[in-house]
Amino acid sequence: MTDEREITLTVNGTEHTVEVEPRRLLVHAIREDLDLTGTHIGCDTGNCGACTVLKDGEPIKSCLMFAAQADGAEILTVEGMEDLPEADGIHPLQEGFREEHGLQCGYCTPGMLMSGKALLDEDPDPDEETIRDAISGNLCRCTGYQNIVRSIEYAADELADRAAADGGAVTADGGASASPEGGHEPPAVGGDADTFCGREDCCGGPSEADPFDREALLDDAEGGNGDAAVDSTDTAVDADDRGDSV
Amino acid sequence: MKSAPFEHHEPTTVDEAVSLLESLDDPTILAGGQSLVPMLRFRLANPDVVVDINGIDSLDYLREEDGHLRVGALARHADVAESDVIDEKYGSFADAAPLVADPQIRNRGTVVGSVAQADPKGDWGSVLLAHEGEVVARGPDGERAIPAEEFFLLPYDTTLGEDELITEVRVPTPSPNEGSAYHKLKRKTGDYAMAGVGVRLTFDDDGTIESAGIGMTAVDITNARATDAEERLEGERPSPDLFAAAGELAAEQSNPESDEHGGADYKARMVDVLTQRALGDAAERAGTVTVKRRVTQ
Repeated sequence: MTDEREITLTVNGTEHTVEVEPRRLLVHAIREDLDLTGTHIGCDTGNCGACTVLKDGEPIKSCLMFAAQADGAEILTVEGMEDLPEADGIHPLQEGFREEHGLQCGYCTPGMLMSGKALLDEDPDPDEETIRDAISGNLCRCTGYQNIVRSIEYAADELADRAAADGGAVTADGGASASPEGGHEPPAVGGDADTFCGREDCCGGPSEADPFDREALLDDAEGGNGDAAVDSTDTAVDADDRGDSV
Repeated sequence: MKSAPFEHHEPTTVDEAVSLLESLDDPTILAGGQSLVPMLRFRLANPDVVVDINGIDSLDYLREEDGHLRVGALARHADVAESDVIDEKYGSFADAAPLVADPQIRNRGTVVGSVAQADPKGDWGSVLLAHEGEVVARGPDGERAIPAEEFFLLPYDTTLGEDELITEVRVPTPSPNEGSAYHKLKRKTGDYAMAGVGVRLTFDDDGTIESAGIGMTAVDITNARATDAEERLEGERPSPDLFAAAGELAAEQSNPESDEHGGADYKARMVDVLTQRALGDAAERAGTVTVKRRVTQ
């Protein structure tokens, strides 16, 4: 009565035919039949979003869908990101998570990347609220989300920069988001500054003053010893943000 | 955990689905699956037979037609949130859609499935009640329209027949003097409502409330109408005092239970607050006077 049936899944551009029981979840087909274990199972209840994949371009939770229901669908998992047209070695989103320290344990990251990808496909220049809404179905227990938001902003900027370099602005505002001074509001809560450990790219680090002004940070770092650069950044944060953060 | 084994049927037409429902033994209908799939996996539901309606393309619609907003059984929450049809005229729908669960679940879960699930914490039941909407079902004997008020019986239990399929839910197209809103209190994205209130106000040409509908979420054993508050509103002109009185009556008529999210008294108070806020929005959207809120946001 539970005969297996043959389904076709196009995952990351490659067509696969697999035999599945009707009760087999899409996430199990992806992980166990196709051996693509980048898609994680976190909560097993549909809450955490670690199993998020794109089905025909839309983010869905692959633990809340049977594999048979995805017969004929196009699925994108984290393993496919580096082969996307906008990827250059790795995808700008992955680069963003690396540059902005968007992960600690990394368990939620594949799901975060998929939600981020769906967002940027829809809205190449999202504001912070839009980003937070887009990842609201993905739980992270490490980062407090601040750096994940910055990682996605980084990717949006990177994509806008490339589009501009290709000779055309793609964003509605003419690509203004690509400029360091125009694209980003300071974080609403500057809590990272209070716990900053003194190391670049850690604990919110020097990027707190303007997390996206990497040129300035590099200049600082080259201009003296690291501690001095950090001190000046920290002072700037004191003046601007710290009062709001307590 | 895995679901127990089941037989999976995938009809592609409503007729085929209805004849499957008639011939199969105790089938369960699978639409968006965002509640049913976890229930199957935790073996809270153990059907031998699942009829998956996702292949019935004719049920994938959301449109204004024949004096109604018609939401087909495969319209997802995200479809409502993104639809051109849903604007200020359907304020309660526009409010509720982005508040359901989270983005991924809104991409799969359906409005009709949420109504059929009849979870008292579901949002759409209250919207339907506020608009005096209907649940349209097809069975072996043809089609029938069940008024929303007669649909919900108990938690997860409705007046739908075992061999019936809900093809759509629908609400009357609002008159130009009508406004609606939905307000929901929840701790975070993805949570069910601690309390929710859907409101519809229809005004006559003088700016008097001709008819009011109020549906409440998560504060009774089913989505429930606040009839005392509705009666208090009808025939009156909108004012902060009137809305405060209606809020109080809705709170009195609610029947919340204390749980980890809050005590019953607190939830009843929230019904009062949410009712007043939703009434304010509905009146504003109807294009009548702007009623200054007594309850601040």
